[in-house]
Amino acid sequence: MSAPAHPDSTDLDRLHSAVKREKVDLAPESQPAPLWAMFLLMFVAIIAGAQIGGPLLGGWSFDISNPFAVANGGGDPRPGGAGAGGTLDPFALAMKKGASGYAVCGGCHQGNGGGLPGQFPPLAKSEFVLGGTERLIRITQHGLVGPVTVNGQNFNTAGGMQPFGGTMSSQDLANVLTFVRNSWGNEATMVTKDMVQKVRDEEKRASQWTAAELEPFAKKNVPGDIPAGPGATAAAAPAPAAK
Amino acid sequence: MQTTPAIPDTDLQADNLRRAAIDKSVKGPVLFLFTNGAFWLMLSTLLGVLSAIKLVEPEFLGNSQYLTYGRLQPAHINALVYGWGIQAALGVMLWIMARRSGQVLKGGQTLLITAGVFWNITITFGILAVLMGKSTSIEWLEMPGFVWPVLLGCFLCYAWPIARMFGRAFRPEGFMVSTWYILGACFWFPWIFVTANVALHCLPGLGAIGAGIDAWYIHGVILLFFVPVGVGSAYYFIPKITGQPIASSQLASAGFWSLAILGGWTGMQKYMGGPLPAWMSSVGACAGVLLLIPVGLVGLNHHLTTIGKHSAVATSPTLRFIFFGAMFYPVSGLVLALNSAFWTGANVQFTQSWYAFQTVSVYGFFSMCVFGAIYYIVPRLSGCEWLSVRLIRNHFWFSVYGVGTIVVMSLVAGWQQGVDLNDPEHWDQTFMNHVVNSRPYVVSRAVAWTLISFSNAMFLLHLLLMVAGLGRRSSAPTLLGHDHDDHALPHEAHA
Repeated sequence: MSAPAHPDSTDLDRLHSAVKREKVDLAPESQPAPLWAMFLLMFVAIIAGAQIGGPLLGGWSFDISNPFAVANGGGDPRPGGAGAGGTLDPFALAMKKGASGYAVCGGCHQGNGGGLPGQFPPLAKSEFVLGGTERLIRITQHGLVGPVTVNGQNFNTAGGMQPFGGTMSSQDLANVLTFVRNSWGNEATMVTKDMVQKVRDEEKRASQWTAAELEPFAKKNVPGDIPAGPGATAAAAPAPAAK
Repeated sequence: MQTTPAIPDTDLQADNLRRAAIDKSVKGPVLFLFTNGAFWLMLSTLLGVLSAIKLVEPEFLGNSQYLTYGRLQPAHINALVYGWGIQAALGVMLWIMARRSGQVLKGGQTLLITAGVFWNITITFGILAVLMGKSTSIEWLEMPGFVWPVLLGCFLCYAWPIARMFGRAFRPEGFMVSTWYILGACFWFPWIFVTANVALHCLPGLGAIGAGIDAWYIHGVILLFFVPVGVGSAYYFIPKITGQPIASSQLASAGFWSLAILGGWTGMQKYMGGPLPAWMSSVGACAGVLLLIPVGLVGLNHHLTTIGKHSAVATSPTLRFIFFGAMFYPVSGLVLALNSAFWTGANVQFTQSWYAFQTVSVYGFFSMCVFGAIYYIVPRLSGCEWLSVRLIRNHFWFSVYGVGTIVVMSLVAGWQQGVDLNDPEHWDQTFMNHVVNSRPYVVSRAVAWTLISFSNAMFLLHLLLMVAGLGRRSSAPTLLGHDHDDHALPHEAHA
């Protein structure tokens, strides 16, 4: 006879002890559920219904991919989402986004576009801003260093203006330039993404410009289509209140 | 209740022997699944630590391509879901169904173990393939295309005997309360798994809807597989251990059917505002919020059952794990509703709160319930008692604190990320800033997974000793909180 697997495997009482101490399975009772719980669940159902009520005003269409499409004309439901400016024309959208993007520039050129005398040139009524778009785009794209005369005042800030071409997309830059050209009494045509991109593709310099180098571009506008609307002609653009 | 004088001694004896025979018949497959599942859980939590560290410090472990975040994170989740989750769930399902139906598993043990071996080998290859860069990039289905048919076949090998047991069972009143969840899980998982895999692997050119199907799959596996197994074991073990009947069979019925109806409707709200037809994400969001109803009904039922009788939680390891697992169930429902509703979902969309939902439902709720079930089942199968109260206690507390930390931190991080990303004032911020801002939360995630790894190392060791038959030789169960023994707590009361 072979030895048992466990020294105490013959101890049936112990082996079955776990089973023996179990309790029997019990049938469930029928206690009443509290009324407040039912009201709470009704509240849940109402919130859930709201998820489906509003969005489906557009019907069970396979063509509408936005739950709030009917409410705001196809915009993204999130604040500032991709379609948030869907109802704005291209110029108004550029002004809106440009105003926000101007925060980068305002540190030197100030919120009112007036600059700081002796340190940072003004943007309001500046011929650099209102003149040819080619020079304006080049300055922001590659930076500017050395002496410069704006509105009759001389400036020669150490280090000059840094280039923003590397840190801002052409769309962002175009928005900011449109905003700058149409704020604080400025009125000029819109700068579009294509214009900025065109300059970007043509000129790849790594060093900053000097004012003298840019003189040939002073009156030159970058060719490109401007969307019809208030930004298409300089005079038609009423400067909206800057933030 | 075990000494009810109304039941003659011989009947009681016969009943005990019958249950012992049932345990014996499922011993092999169930212990095989639990042991292998525990190994995968160990691996998964370690990978969780590594991938969280990689998210903060990409240079960690050098530049090996096999250990980049993009490969570690899917390996971590796949090991958790397929290695541990489904495997351990099958073990619990098989045992509970055998016990509830009173049916001995008649043959087929070899087939079940073979299916289990195939399951483990296939996952091993699948996860190695993910680490070697052969991932399909489909969330939760990253393992290559050859994996899913094998997994499906193995799953059906287990689902069939479970369904057969149900079919042959004598069903007294109240039989369904835990059983129907187990039965439902048997049928729902193959349905979801086949639908998602056929759509994503076999239909060409799905485009954006493929992402929606994937989100539906993840929600389906959680809500129609992990949740039913967790709730089913909670419904089985709470009355079994406390000796209190489930409070309301009506609530139990309503909770089950509302889950069955709603569970498959949610998922696509993950892409709200995205390139899916609007009504798809609307329906998903609606169902995601409505799921608070089955969650609330089950929570209410458990509350009514255990109210004023929480003392056993302090002593019974099983009840302690199940009780806290069951408390994580409403939490997971709330996180799902938060992610689903448009008002909050717009802010937490595509953020870490998605990870919070996966972790709270798979680990916080499901795994805690299954741990409880394992602490109950294994002594009956291995013939010995758990060795160490301290190991169980540490397993419990490190798990609770770990998973709680992950859930809270991922939710807060998700909210912050989402609000920052949506803020129009931040339009010119680089994405890197948001990543850097979320670093503290990811560090806490790494710490939390470390705690959980520690707890699972103890669990694995403990389980291996039990399976090897090296547990305590005693007829008394291993109970937590021995200090209460002074006033002669009857051992058999909380086993």
